[in-house]
Amino acid sequence: VKYWEDLEVGQTIALGSCAVSETEIVAFARKYDPQPFHTDPEAARQSLYGGLIASGWHTCALLMRLGVEANRREGIAATGSPGLDSCRWLKPVRPGDVLAGRTEILETWPSRSKPIGFVRRRSEMVNQHGEVVLQIVGITMYRRRPAAAA
Amino acid sequence: VKYFEDVQVGDVMRFGRYEVTREEIVEYARQFDPQPFHLDEEAAGASLFGGLVASGWHTGAMFMRMTADHVAAIHATSGALGFDDLKWIRPVRPGDVLSVESVIREKIPSRSRPDRGLVRIESRVHDQRGEDKMSLVTLVIYRRRPEAAR
Repeated sequence: VKYWEDLEVGQTIALGSCAVSETEIVAFARKYDPQPFHTDPEAARQSLYGGLIASGWHTCALLMRLGVEANRREGIAATGSPGLDSCRWLKPVRPGDVLAGRTEILETWPSRSKPIGFVRRRSEMVNQHGEVVLQIVGITMYRRRPAAAA
Repeated sequence: VKYFEDVQVGDVMRFGRYEVTREEIVEYARQFDPQPFHLDEEAAGASLFGGLVASGWHTGAMFMRMTADHVAAIHATSGALGFDDLKWIRPVRPGDVLSVESVIREKIPSRSRPDRGLVRIESRVHDQRGEDKMSLVTLVIYRRRPEAAR
């Protein structure tokens, strides 16, 4: 298991990748973001995006899933997040795109009151053309290494 | 339709009514955030949340749905650049009924594209008791009133 103590400033972790289909884009948008440029290919062509694009909240959700899967693979003891400094949808995500996630540790500090530590991370999704489509800077909490194992 | 010219700094909008169900919390989490405290009542009871809670990104998606239905539907918006300063203030649990209060904080005309402007909107998602669950500041793209209609 990897604890807060094992995460170091400057470290970059690859989170794996996922493909995004038109079916998924439309299904997410119908439920959570029913704007024409997310749900209707024809209307999307007339919009300023020139075609169907994924909801930004969908891209964030996909990054979350890559992060959870990576934590499971690496045994990283993450325990949630109090919030995010910023999130930017830098480029549209379109059907057929393949997105790779990565995260870089920017800052770490321990909790004074609980057996956890905080980490500020910059996480990104990069498409198959090497373009950063999503950038998030936020705080994640991790369990501290138990005293007996320290 | 409300264009960039029609929204004013200080305008307040109150909207939405989103009933959060156990089924939806689990369905979202299975797809995007499969951590025990979002998936399984028993495991969640033993976690620091003391019961099943919605993924923070799910709360974001529900906020987006209310915004799409009540704001994007009647304002001339064309998506968003992202958001700043998102805080997950309290956990969202099954049975919560969410709504939104949004305040227009800043209007920034685009220098390069005279047909649009950026509007900074501070939003708070709260529950049926009026307790804040999540807050964020979105950066929304508004279209300007067409020349002929000015």
